[in-house]
Amino acid sequence: MQSILAVDDSASMRQMVAFTLKGAGYHVIEAADGQEALEKARTTRVDLVLTDQNMPRMDGITLVRELRTMQSFAGTPMLILTTESSDEMKAKGKAAGATGWLVKPFDPAKLLDVIKRVIR
Amino acid sequence: MHNLDEQDAAELQRAALECEAITADLERLKTMIGDAGDRLLASFNVVAALAPQSKRSEEEQRRLSGAIATAVTALQFQDMANQLTAHAQRRLGKLKETVAHFSEGVDPLLVPTRLQPVRQAGMGAGSIDLF
Repeated sequence: MQSILAVDDSASMRQMVAFTLKGAGYHVIEAADGQEALEKARTTRVDLVLTDQNMPRMDGITLVRELRTMQSFAGTPMLILTTESSDEMKAKGKAAGATGWLVKPFDPAKLLDVIKRVIR
Repeated sequence: MHNLDEQDAAELQRAALECEAITADLERLKTMIGDAGDRLLASFNVVAALAPQSKRSEEEQRRLSGAIATAVTALQFQDMANQLTAHAQRRLGKLKETVAHFSEGVDPLLVPTRLQPVRQAGMGAGSIDLF
């Protein structure tokens, strides 16, 4: 079973993401911010990261940048799921190493389609 | 203290009170959103847990799956609304600082408070009064 690290400081968002991903057969590891995600990523196998941008302690772009420095995450797809939709923020995400940028709210079928396309 | 005439002072005081009222409205709104979100999520969890257990036709199953997918999208409103209210609170905070800066020394009894259209802070059924 493929594992997805789902990161969001909103419990309701994490719940919707987890419900969608588990329903499609993925194993979901949840984290409430970038720092917690980073700690979990150090000890757990992850096939894809799906993270919010604006979070306390560590934001999504910083998380992506930190993960990209780890050899085990060099080729892991990382998607940012956020309310931020400016080209400037998207460019920052891309520069940090994000695989894609999804704007909230997400449609379950479209999210699963994107994940299916990028996950290995 | 700034050197203001009486009319300017009154306008500033009105603005300060308006800021306070909007602050209170935003707090109530956040509480309502949180309460509604929690209740909807709890209901959603019950429906989602029971959905696979009952038998239904292919068409009914398709409609149910579609409704659940729509609910997943709609239930993200809580996160988005919270971010929006937090943003509005930050901007209002800056506005309050500016108004306070220019309001130093103004008589606080100059202006009446405005009416508050929504007083309830939750999404539960409201009270009923029979006369």
